[in-house]
Amino acid sequence: MYKLFLCLRYLRRRRIAFFSVAAVCLCTAMVLIVVSVMNGFLQMVRDRSRGMLGDLIMENQSLQGFPYYQDFIDQVKHDPELGQRIYEATPLIISYGVIRFPSDQITKPAQVLGIRFDETCRVNDFGKGLFYEKYYPGTTTLKPQKEPRLGRDEKGQYVLPTYLEAARSRWEKSAPPDEIAKAWRSKAVPYAGPGAYLPLPDAYAPSGVDTTGLEPVAPAYDGPELPGAIIGTDMVAKRLPTGEYEREYYSRGSTITLTFVPFTDTGKPLESGTGMPSKVFRYADDCRTGVYDIDSMSVYVDFDLLQDVLNMKEDKYTGEQGGGVIPARTTQVQIKLNAGYDPRATRDLLQKQWDEFFMSRIHSVRTPDLLRRVEIRTWEEKQAKYIAAVEKEKYLVTTLFGVISVVAVFLVVCIFYMIVQQKTRDIGIIKSVGATALGVAQIFLAYGAAVGIVGGGIGTIIAVYFVKYINEFQHGLERLGRVFHMDLQVWNPEVYAFDRIPNQVQVWDAVIIYAVAVLMAVAGSVIAAVKAARIWPVEALRYE
Amino acid sequence: MSDVILQAAGLHKSYVMGRTTLDVLKGVSLGVHRGEFVAIMGSSGCGKSTLLHLLGALDVPDRGTVKFDGTDVFGGSNAQRDRLRNRTFGFVFQFYHLLPELNVLENTLIPCMVGHSVAGWLGRRADLRRHATDLLGRLGLGDRLRHRPNELSGGERQRVAIARALANRPQVLLADEPTGNLDAATGCEIMGVLTELNRAGQTVVMVTHDPQVAASAHRIVTLSDGRIRNPKA
Ligand SMILES: Nc1ncnc2c1ncn2[C@@H]1O[C@H](COP(=O)(O)OP(=O)(O)O)[C@@H](O)[C@H]1O
Ligand SMILES: [Mg+2]
Repeated sequence: MYKLFLCLRYLRRRRIAFFSVAAVCLCTAMVLIVVSVMNGFLQMVRDRSRGMLGDLIMENQSLQGFPYYQDFIDQVKHDPELGQRIYEATPLIISYGVIRFPSDQITKPAQVLGIRFDETCRVNDFGKGLFYEKYYPGTTTLKPQKEPRLGRDEKGQYVLPTYLEAARSRWEKSAPPDEIAKAWRSKAVPYAGPGAYLPLPDAYAPSGVDTTGLEPVAPAYDGPELPGAIIGTDMVAKRLPTGEYEREYYSRGSTITLTFVPFTDTGKPLESGTGMPSKVFRYADDCRTGVYDIDSMSVYVDFDLLQDVLNMKEDKYTGEQGGGVIPARTTQVQIKLNAGYDPRATRDLLQKQWDEFFMSRIHSVRTPDLLRRVEIRTWEEKQAKYIAAVEKEKYLVTTLFGVISVVAVFLVVCIFYMIVQQKTRDIGIIKSVGATALGVAQIFLAYGAAVGIVGGGIGTIIAVYFVKYINEFQHGLERLGRVFHMDLQVWNPEVYAFDRIPNQVQVWDAVIIYAVAVLMAVAGSVIAAVKAARIWPVEALRYE
Repeated sequence: MSDVILQAAGLHKSYVMGRTTLDVLKGVSLGVHRGEFVAIMGSSGCGKSTLLHLLGALDVPDRGTVKFDGTDVFGGSNAQRDRLRNRTFGFVFQFYHLLPELNVLENTLIPCMVGHSVAGWLGRRADLRRHATDLLGRLGLGDRLRHRPNELSGGERQRVAIARALANRPQVLLADEPTGNLDAATGCEIMGVLTELNRAGQTVVMVTHDPQVAASAHRIVTLSDGRIRNPKA
């Protein structure tokens, strides 16, 4: 009984014990925060990778791409075994070019992707990141389109063409109220819906001008029909510290110009006409994958259109040994599997089919290596290096902080040693009234455990809340930094590729770290406990 | 004065200090009868405390035996000796040796806590507390139960120490210069308490160098040069 009693009493009365509690608490919190953020980071990398890539990817790592993709897609879709496994497969062209915004005459390098819009939305998470498609469902397309322009109703409010207004009210009917309240209202033009639209010249009124009672102006689709382009959100919108985006400069339907770099099937630059081909598109929507590198570079256009511009459509050639056909090419095929099918096993089946398939075609092309080099990989294999790097980083950082935390153990050792030193007489007293050596040792072990339980517990709670609000902390810091003209931004989205710090604590991480904290505190108290057990009462009680 | 409750025979104890060996006890034999009040006298540093510690199983002799009720104290295990200290002997020290973090009642109850498991303690808590409160009441500390040692005078502290020594109803009370740190009047008071206890049947062995204090005892033995000079009174 005395063990528990004295242990509790010492915990309450010895102020110095609080330092060991604080040390354990801080170390627990530190490790748990680091582990959680790193784990979250890894999970985000994995989720995003998969979200961007689908389950399986076919590619040959060349700019020219590979031919016969459509034949192969059709073949496996109709294969009895593979057809069952494959949910969707879509070709995708990845190329490079330059984007120009005519409104402010700014050009930027761009990764130009040719996609089949509907298929891509089924294969990966692309569709989930679209901005206008979210608030105006069903209105985003890559097909030729005009610019939607705002009109003005009899109340003096800006209005969109009926088709878009109807889409928006469809969204509002299904959206939770707080989402509607949060939906970004453009600062540039005071239209009540999310996004930015340009008013018709007749409808335009500078802010501050009272428009009530004026003649209404009908909204309209304006300008020539131009193919749509979906642009990475970070290219067209300004990210605010709150994490929201402000679409101030570019309105939906405004034009952009893309300049392309086409190659022949043999990889030579195409000598067509003068200079590189250019094409005007309309900003149909913007897309956010959450990976900054992608969102600040990518422009998505229609697959067939890009294939055409890049000279990747079926073509003929003439040569010394006569001519032939150059089949249409793509740079990638992304495949989404039905739920429950293992990507690796399916990859193997697919690879077998492909091997037979390309051998049967290899003699009909003049660039057989484009076929031979095609590899089928799972999303994990494709991102393996990146994921492994993050994994290593996670282990490294965790180990590092774990080692640093051992400092807390030494602190416990020192403080407990001091306590035993100070309490030698008391220990002598309780031994003189019959306490056993083991019992005395247990007091200090229990004391250590108590320090671990309390310190680790508080540390865990701190970490859980810290991690939960880590983005808010970061924004606070950033704001504070701006006051003092310092850069206190810890998490730079451009560096970490993710615009939010992961803020999830895994229950098992917390449990394990807490348990280790308690064990470490007990371990730290062992030396003191042994010292206490060895105290010889006669010695301890000889003097005052 | 019938049966011998505590019997020391041929106790030797020496301390090694660097090269020299200090022989403190050189064959001490002493019997204590049940209900007796024995005073051990001797000059300072002659080994009185050492002897008392051996009698109370607080220290181990180099040679010789101590028998309590016929059983050899140092023949058994450490655990048995821990039990003896807890149950059978009660110690009172010159410097009181109370736990500063604990109040008067808690200090008194420490031997009971040591002697009981958590479950046993919870089961008998009320009983033990009542006993301790009674004890403190009889020692004139009834209204000081919640005070901490540093709020008490020397005489009061020593009375708490006596209460603690008696908490587990020991068969032998061992007091090492219980008045050594007190003024004459307070010392008298404490001696009164011990005499009173002895009159009620408590066996008491007390160490002192003060003849006036020793006079309260039934029997005075003198320790000098490592031996008892007058074992039989
Ligand atoms: N642990 C020890 N180491 C060395 N010498 C000791 C030790 N304990 C006691 N002594 C010595 O033994 C002698 C007897 O001590 P003690 O029994 O305390 O004497 P008393 O109580 O009669 O004053 C003293 O000279 C003391 O210095
Ligand atoms: Mg002494």
